[in-house]
Amino acid sequence: MRIERPKRKLEAVGLTPLIDMIFLLLLFFLLGSDFVRFSQSQLAPPRGTGGTEGMSQPAIITLNETGRVQWNGVAVTRPQLQARAADLVDTDAEQLFVVMPAAAAEVQQVVGVMDDLAEAGARAVTLERDVFDIDLSDF
Amino acid sequence: MKIDRPRRKFKTIDLLPLINVVFLLILFVLIAGRPTTDHPNEIEVALSTQEAAYIAAPFSVRLGADDKFYLAGNAPKSLSEIAAQVAQTGIGAQGLAVELIADRRAHAAALMDFRQAMAKAGVGEIRIKTEFAPEQGHGN
Repeated sequence: MRIERPKRKLEAVGLTPLIDMIFLLLLFFLLGSDFVRFSQSQLAPPRGTGGTEGMSQPAIITLNETGRVQWNGVAVTRPQLQARAADLVDTDAEQLFVVMPAAAAEVQQVVGVMDDLAEAGARAVTLERDVFDIDLSDF
Repeated sequence: MKIDRPRRKFKTIDLLPLINVVFLLILFVLIAGRPTTDHPNEIEVALSTQEAAYIAAPFSVRLGADDKFYLAGNAPKSLSEIAAQVAQTGIGAQGLAVELIADRRAHAAALMDFRQAMAKAGVGEIRIKTEFAPEQGHGN
């Protein structure tokens, strides 16, 4: 006698829950991942400590609290600053740049100037107090 | 006469919508509970157009938007305390760098004070931690 097996029913796989789950997983990984890339700006040792001994005179860049920049006492725009810095670096790769930010200037503005100098190829950038902010008790 | 009530059908609970909702709740909590910065003390580091490989220094100091300095905890430290710790760890003597995780809204005066204190403690190189943002203007 032939016994008939009950036939298996083929159930259709629901695509909607699958898509739901894929989207949720995608969202999870998108939000869970951290895309922030950190970098760093390097400050050379202060003048007179023997860390950076450039052959040429240091270029003095002053930065006021509004973000305006002066190059050796002359007001310049940021592109001009970059161009002048690049000229100096072409002559002397170890040219020292001294940034003198005003006390009220923000760190972001200081980093901005340092970025401009780095863009021009400057390798030795240091910070000094603005002459108007120097505390004589330090001496 | 006996009236037959229609029998209630017991439906099985579908688990998939439940899982979907639970995942959505997890996502909501993840987003809502996400800290706004990657650093303690609500520090938002300065944005930089320069991409330099980030190397963590052995000693790092945080500078908050309030121009106060912090080490590991949440209590502000004076620069003399920080300089004493730097001297104790011998970082200056070994020629190592000190990392400054400075808030972009902090003022240059604090930065200069830190620079001076570190120079006195014998530290030559200071690295300011920044966030690489290629399209970022500097707000000038």
